[in-house]
Amino acid sequence: MMLHLLNRSPRSTATYQDLSEAFGSGDHLLLIEDACYAAQVSASAVLEPFGGRVSVLQEDLVSRGLAARIDPSVGVIDMNGFLALTETHERCVSWF
Amino acid sequence: MLNYALLLYAAPYSHQAALSALRFADTVVANGHRMKTVFFYHDGVHNASALMAPPQDEVHLADGWRRLHHEHGTELLVCVAAGLRRGLLDVSEANRHGAVSHSLEAPFALTGVGQLIDAMLTSDRMITFAP
Repeated sequence: MMLHLLNRSPRSTATYQDLSEAFGSGDHLLLIEDACYAAQVSASAVLEPFGGRVSVLQEDLVSRGLAARIDPSVGVIDMNGFLALTETHERCVSWF
Repeated sequence: MLNYALLLYAAPYSHQAALSALRFADTVVANGHRMKTVFFYHDGVHNASALMAPPQDEVHLADGWRRLHHEHGTELLVCVAAGLRRGLLDVSEANRHGAVSHSLEAPFALTGVGQLIDAMLTSDRMITFAP
């Protein structure tokens, strides 16, 4: 079980492709910084490979004005939720 | 309680990553974990500048890292090779290279990547923040 941390916008298609190939069955993806744009309803196709095991960081979402435009299948978590994911996942890999 | 180490590649104020890392570190200690080590690598070494002087109404990132050290004993390790290339020199290195001044002071410490490996081996979690 691995936590994947992604900070690139969905325009970085190669990063999303590489990540989807490395994504294991028990893994979880957390979108931070510009990766929040991938959580929009209009961009949801890029998250299909991750089988709904995706969260997005609330403060980065709000600072980009995206709070009302999020795909309901993506869980919204705060910094404490981010920390909690690192507690339950022994390994964390960052994609950038 | 878990021991956390952070690896920071990003320069201050150029990208969000340095602020993300500091926000995460504050959350680590607020939840009763130990923020053991922050390793500053590549452009991340600029976070250690003793000469950083942002406007007073903005987040002072170097002060934030220093606060973690003073209040929670966090090691602030700066890659010496990445630092020297970018003008991050402590007194000893400044003297050795004949520089007019130094730009890095304790609690930041110039170290080798061996210390990064040590942090990986002795921490429960290693989280990377990059631009």
